[in-house]
Amino acid sequence: METLETNVSLSETQRLDNIITSSRRKMMTIAGSAIAGLVLSKFATPAEAQTVTDADILNFALNLEYLEAQYYTLATSGTTIDKYSTPVSITGGGGTAGTVTTKPGGPAACLVPWGTYTTIQAYAMETAREERNHVNFISTALGPNAVAMPNIDLYNSFNGLAVAAGLGVSTFDPFANPIYFLLGAFIFEDVGVTAYSGAAPLIAKAAYLDAAAGIQAVEAYHAGLVRTTLFGLDAANPTLGINALASKIAAARAKLDGTGADDVGLGVVTTTVGPSSTIVDCDQNSLVYSRTTSQVLSIVYAGGAAGTGGGFFPNALNGTIK
Amino acid sequence: MARYVSYSPGKAFIVDKLKDLLKAAPSRRTFLAGVGAAGASAVVVGCGSNSTTTPVTTAAPATTSTSTATDNDILNFALNLEYLEAEFYLRAATGSGIPSSYTGSNPGAVTGGTQVSFAGQTVLQEYANEIAQEELNHVIFLRAAITSNGGTPVDRPAIDFTDAFNAVAQAANLGQTFNPFADPMSFLVGAFAFEDVGVTAYHGAATLLTSKTILAAAVLIHAVEAYHAGEVRSLIAAMAAMPGASQTYLNAANAISGVRASLGGGMETTLSTSSIVAADPTNSIGYSRTYSEVLNIVYATPGVGVASGGFFPKGMNGALTTTVAASA
Repeated sequence: METLETNVSLSETQRLDNIITSSRRKMMTIAGSAIAGLVLSKFATPAEAQTVTDADILNFALNLEYLEAQYYTLATSGTTIDKYSTPVSITGGGGTAGTVTTKPGGPAACLVPWGTYTTIQAYAMETAREERNHVNFISTALGPNAVAMPNIDLYNSFNGLAVAAGLGVSTFDPFANPIYFLLGAFIFEDVGVTAYSGAAPLIAKAAYLDAAAGIQAVEAYHAGLVRTTLFGLDAANPTLGINALASKIAAARAKLDGTGADDVGLGVVTTTVGPSSTIVDCDQNSLVYSRTTSQVLSIVYAGGAAGTGGGFFPNALNGTIK
Repeated sequence: MARYVSYSPGKAFIVDKLKDLLKAAPSRRTFLAGVGAAGASAVVVGCGSNSTTTPVTTAAPATTSTSTATDNDILNFALNLEYLEAEFYLRAATGSGIPSSYTGSNPGAVTGGTQVSFAGQTVLQEYANEIAQEELNHVIFLRAAITSNGGTPVDRPAIDFTDAFNAVAQAANLGQTFNPFADPMSFLVGAFAFEDVGVTAYHGAATLLTSKTILAAAVLIHAVEAYHAGEVRSLIAAMAAMPGASQTYLNAANAISGVRASLGGGMETTLSTSSIVAADPTNSIGYSRTYSEVLNIVYATPGVGVASGGFFPKGMNGALTTTVAASA
């Protein structure tokens, strides 16, 4: 397959090429077989649905929002959300917050070199703001019951996923350039949509359901934004293989959640209408996928065991659903 | 990528899908028990608010009509919107509308809507094709879902694109006419007119649905509409942000957004590269509209007791077809 490391000759993509070359890592194309090596035997199914409370579900969501808010804020500001200019609390209802593991150089090194990619930078800044708002909103709604931020890993997690997804790299730094940043965002947003899709029907209180549906929509707006932007970049720079990389990530998510079939990457497929993009991550009824909390955990833990964690949450989520 | 390879929107598959959802939220029996009597009262209440000469105690009827709408009433309301969107995208992408097998036994006529020339715009054609397929699939899914839940899917109502978009253009001070089928960029602006509204409509419906099974399906369509909205909004904003690009289409989209806000209770976010998402600025939660606010928008007419206009010149079909006073 073509990879992002492929030299591009299109003059309009030269800047991108330079950015990518400057962040070049040793790269071995390992034939896409790594997915089979994932440890799916650890796929776990903790207690679900009938026994969880609204607070449990909202705290589950709050953990995911901590993750997203940290990712986007680091990428756009070079700080964690608690150190941002308008700080966001990471202690929830008063607990002890975990830490964020970043690339060498710390939070400041995570500021993406946006260069002339000002439109993507604007998207990223908007998304960062919205994810911070989600943390504040859910934490406020839960009040004293809000969990603190768990330990989050935004360094080893991406490296592990890159290998697991067969991206053809042994390391993946989503903060290295705007395109890698979008691919990092791609990992999160569709999962967020499926998480809220699965959680919404479990919520008892109407006001919380209303809010969850509203946040679900925002995650889907984000996902639509990220997928459209990546698809457009791929069309303009076909030799970079952007759609292929996104599709490998989607396949890895489906593999991690145990279905192997509930995720759609980026590309062109034939429908009854004609050649069609796959911007929306949905099934053949054109409904987005829905994931149980266990399936979401398996993805964000990168296959790690329930209650133990791994991937983006090396010590598991905080709260009942973990 | 197997999404469409074996594409066959059979009813059996859809029923299976509903069964899957049922496993996650076992309340269908309760829902089925509630179907029947409530539908009629919703119609009565809706008709009762059509008098504008006699002051009425508006708060009570509005509350009642909301609470007595059955899940199938709500799904049929959504089906009307999906007919509208599917006709728009299918005609733009292919020149033909929804296949007659999915429009009911006595469908209304569709006025306007011609194939957009996407020559030299392959990617935009692919976007249009995808959304057309997805909106058609929503029509098919909702029809099957309503049937399997003991209801009757409404026929496609009469739909008008020509006069409706002209009226929107005039309200938005964009000129006397606007043809969204004229070219790809105009098409995107036309798509913009619909997608954010669809998001708010499904959001508003979500909290009214009594069946957790139906709710579970509705939120999945809600998210698809938000993907579409995010896609359309980012395309319009990104194109306007390119060096030397015309601001005409971005400005047109925002003018339409202003019209929607005035008709539909606000709930709009001005589009720019710094505000792709339509959500409340404080908490970044997607907007929600009542069915009545949605009707005011698609009827392109403000006020209470409105039963037709705009994109639905003969009104929607079903129980939720007339605007009512706000309940709060």
